[in-house]
Amino acid sequence: MFRNCAIIGCGQTKHSSRRRDVSVAELVGQAVDAALLDAGITMKDVGCVVSGNMQGFGGVAQPDLWIGDWMGIPGKPAIRIATGGTTGGSVGQGACYTVASGMYDISLGVAWEKHSDSKEAGATTGLMHVGMGNLFHALTYGLSLKNLIATTAVGAAAGVAVYQARFYMNRSGCRQEHLDMVAAKARRNAAKNPYAHLQWPNCQPSDIAKTELIAFPFRYGHVCPASDGASAIVVAEEKTARKLCKQPAWFLGMGSYSDEENQLQSENYGGVGVIDPSEQMGCRVSAQKAYAMAGITDPQKEIDLAEIYQPFPSQELIFSERLGLFDDGTAWRHMEKGETDINGRMPISVSGGVNATNAIGSSALQRILEAALQVQGKAGEHQVPKKVRKAVAHGWGGVTNYITVTVLGNSPR
Amino acid sequence: MPYLKDERPATMMVEGDWQVGAYRYKAPRLLEEFSAGMKEKKIIGSMCMGCGKVITQPRNICGRCHRRMEGRRVLSDWGTITCFVTSPPVEKGRYKIFGMDPVDTGTLKLGEILIPVFVRFDGSDSNINCLLLNAKPEEVFIGMRVKAVWAKELKGAMSDLEGVEPIREK
Repeated sequence: MFRNCAIIGCGQTKHSSRRRDVSVAELVGQAVDAALLDAGITMKDVGCVVSGNMQGFGGVAQPDLWIGDWMGIPGKPAIRIATGGTTGGSVGQGACYTVASGMYDISLGVAWEKHSDSKEAGATTGLMHVGMGNLFHALTYGLSLKNLIATTAVGAAAGVAVYQARFYMNRSGCRQEHLDMVAAKARRNAAKNPYAHLQWPNCQPSDIAKTELIAFPFRYGHVCPASDGASAIVVAEEKTARKLCKQPAWFLGMGSYSDEENQLQSENYGGVGVIDPSEQMGCRVSAQKAYAMAGITDPQKEIDLAEIYQPFPSQELIFSERLGLFDDGTAWRHMEKGETDINGRMPISVSGGVNATNAIGSSALQRILEAALQVQGKAGEHQVPKKVRKAVAHGWGGVTNYITVTVLGNSPR
Repeated sequence: MPYLKDERPATMMVEGDWQVGAYRYKAPRLLEEFSAGMKEKKIIGSMCMGCGKVITQPRNICGRCHRRMEGRRVLSDWGTITCFVTSPPVEKGRYKIFGMDPVDTGTLKLGEILIPVFVRFDGSDSNINCLLLNAKPEEVFIGMRVKAVWAKELKGAMSDLEGVEPIREK
């Protein structure tokens, strides 16, 4: 087993669609400085830096090569991690590994995205870039333009998630109005989080229902934004954590499992063996491993709060079931009753989550960071009223098949 | 904040071009076999000798077993819809593909409602993503039985499979 370690410092930047006041390096620097300040340490105390962003999305292939100085890397080992949308979750777990293994006493985990640095955010250098290999194969072998537009471009970023939502709705009975409710909750919660992007105080499901339809069941109001932002955490081993921090957020368990690719076609343009992309076997297995490590036998009772990676509202419902927080097919019923609200029985994504703020590389690290703030009681206006003893943070990405699940708690294992 | 200089009102932007044509991605050779099958109205799938799953489009390695998918199967061109999405009526200026409006190029018709579907062709354990043709949006449902719509002139390309249409009782 690994040695105990905890998050002792959290830093994040204000997120918005265009942070034109800073370069990507300065943006990352802001998050790093905030985390160091929160932990009450300087870069001298840090043994190792683990960093990552969603490769290609900011228009720069390897930004870590030129922003190393801003993360305080000189003179230290630097590890870069890239697992697509899951990057932040992998960075958080990576920072934990370096300390838990005994190699370093304090590590820094940094993740970021600056979408606005590419001319068409999320287009030429974003999802299109990621899908470019796929696209070329398809055109080389004579895919008709109409089919290409209809099957891949109708939903653009929502293209993968819209099918996943449809599968979920069909098997659970969830309706479009429930997606409105989740999206409205995300905007309302974000209004209480000063770092969040899409803030809409008192947003109601009826407000979301008025927005334009993209592809049924998704409306414009359901979709996450493309944000500029960065986040950083300081991880320390037990003795150091106790010395430096009044209430560390302890790592209790971690799981990271992948499934086979399960988007429309595989990146090699072969078929995929997953009929239902809302199945998310990787999440189920990751959660099981993380809970076993954390000594959790009944997540429905023992978990106090969840931060779920939910760029689309259907995903909050799908993954809350896969994380074992609700029985299969029932998450929307619990959400409808207000159980997932900030003052509910099982608060979910009270920071507004990815649906309100999506600096992709940073998004999954933010889930860990926000769960840590809740455990530490430092979340401010969006702090949940109940005591958070155990919280779970989730990350989703890759070719919709990579998952990270991290359990944090207010006392060590 | 030792590392940060004073914040500026805006960062600087330098204009330039990006030649995407410089990329040379390679597709797996199996796609050639799949496309060639299209010329004879055959939908080819590959079979895993470990778990017996048949996947189309064919692939080399089974995702979960990590075994070579050496078997080949020709699937029925009848299948079942496992998922569908409906688009709003097509408008001009809504999409741009390669800098062109598909309404201007005649690829899409103004007011047309697109119904992309996942189809599980009989004999396969995977979905193919294509368009539902000759059907109204209100009549489509999950579980609907459909058959392939083939192009009039078969070229041995993926475009030979134009989409699927409902199987209607005569």
